[in-house]
Amino acid sequence: MRRNQVLSWGVNLFLTVGALMAMFPIYMAILNSFKSDGEMFRSFIALPQSISFANYREAFVRLDMLSSSLNSATVSILGIAGILLCASLAGYKLSRTSGRISAFLFLLFVSSMLVPFHSIMIPLTRMAKALHVSGSIYGLSVIYIGLGVNMAVFLYHGFVKSIPRELEEAAYIDGCSEIKMYFQIIFPLLLPITVTIAILDFLWIWNDFLLPLIMITDATHYTLILSTNVLFGEYNKEWSLILASLVLTAVPVLLIFSFFQRYIMEGITEGAVKG
Amino acid sequence: MNQNGFRKYFSLLAFVAPAFILYALFLLIPTINGLYYSVTNWNGLNPSYRFVGLENFIELFTDDPYFLDSIWFTLKYVICMVIFQNVIALLVAVLIESRRKSKGLFRTLFFMPNMLSLIISAFMWTFIFTQVFPQLAEKTVLTFLGQAWVGDPKYSFLAILIVSLWNGVGYMMIIYLAGLQGVPQHLKEAAVIDGANIYQQFWHVTLPMITHAITICLFLTLNGAFKVYEVVFGLTGGGPGRSTQVITMNIYEEAFSNNYRYGYASAKSVILFLIVLIFTIIQLRLTKRKEIES
Repeated sequence: MRRNQVLSWGVNLFLTVGALMAMFPIYMAILNSFKSDGEMFRSFIALPQSISFANYREAFVRLDMLSSSLNSATVSILGIAGILLCASLAGYKLSRTSGRISAFLFLLFVSSMLVPFHSIMIPLTRMAKALHVSGSIYGLSVIYIGLGVNMAVFLYHGFVKSIPRELEEAAYIDGCSEIKMYFQIIFPLLLPITVTIAILDFLWIWNDFLLPLIMITDATHYTLILSTNVLFGEYNKEWSLILASLVLTAVPVLLIFSFFQRYIMEGITEGAVKG
Repeated sequence: MNQNGFRKYFSLLAFVAPAFILYALFLLIPTINGLYYSVTNWNGLNPSYRFVGLENFIELFTDDPYFLDSIWFTLKYVICMVIFQNVIALLVAVLIESRRKSKGLFRTLFFMPNMLSLIISAFMWTFIFTQVFPQLAEKTVLTFLGQAWVGDPKYSFLAILIVSLWNGVGYMMIIYLAGLQGVPQHLKEAAVIDGANIYQQFWHVTLPMITHAITICLFLTLNGAFKVYEVVFGLTGGGPGRSTQVITMNIYEEAFSNNYRYGYASAKSVILFLIVLIFTIIQLRLTKRKEIES
């Protein structure tokens, strides 16, 4: 009995130390974002003398973080809305239609999930230029829809199988048109998987770095991560500003996490088990 | 009947078209184009280019030491990630699963770093490595923290691993936790009655029951680790020199920041795709066989 208790304490200690290590960089970034450069270099671990938002104010005024926050939000919202609309239509129909064409289209969507982004990066920039979608926030969101629908189609396809067909047949007999039936009956039933996909895609688009890096050149169209990157790339790193912008980038994600933690974890296991 | 079949395909087309058109434009066609560019000498600026056969592929294996170095470095990284990420994630998952009250709290804390993007993680850790650690080494007893974490090739590989693991372990942990919850309680109890100790229980009962989770996690780690970019970009930028350059970074440099040899860089992209594909197929074959056996 005593040996078990010692073991249990050991496990608790190990997990606590591990959790502290996991939290340390985030805690450090938040803590020091409230200090001035001088105060920071006297001691990183000391608590700030007073909670000062000067760094954040400067980030907003001098670096126009407001505009890059809005850009990030716009890309995420438009991208997610497009993915949800396009992929739910396609996933639903592919799941309900049997036959070779439908099976082939589904396979095409799914197999492309293996293609690394770096392998299409070069032709994609050329395509984006040819279609005049490079260099703008709206163009960027359209590209995200194109890159994101495959996984969403896959998840919708699996979910639709669990919905009984009788509903659609009844609506069909009542003379409901197909597209009307889809929006009034099917789409609301897809809500659980829609939430999961929306969250996963938000995390992806909000956190994505490489695609905006190669598509956006004009500073007024920068996303939050691009602004942070520019700041970080300067030779004389102004850590107080960098930390403030890091925290600004991280906060929405951590908020989403605290509200939807269960959905996120379920989404991960669901996506993983089916894949 | 015929009318009906036509209608069926028309409505299939109408529903799938929006997703398919965007998918084709931004993913399918670029994939095919990439394959085509890899056998041309297109340089991105010059509008005319011609077919050069396998010339690009021959060049990158015989006349491009930086590319080969980046492959070796990436392989080293992949092997370390596959081992450490899965061992740590499984260990943490098993320990968390054994807790009763604190299970939820620990799960949240270990998972949280995964929510941040890799590039943000790398920036945050650069702050820790270059500012916080040296100060801690100077002012406290933790002198071992005072290394040139980012500037010295010996330590920068370790730094890259630390950040990748910090960000990635939580994700795998969630999958392992789901796998562990699927292990039937009565099997464990039977093993306890038969006198199995904790280690025997783990090796002979738990591990065989979660092979599916292991397959998934190995697949995800392998697939992700070959594509590593952001962590290295944020921490070392591939340096010092080219000592920490990974494949993706070599491709990016070739295409966008060096000499705009799009055709040649596309050939490198094809190689990256093939490497990922081959390793994934081998891994899935091996672990699937294990799964059936157990």
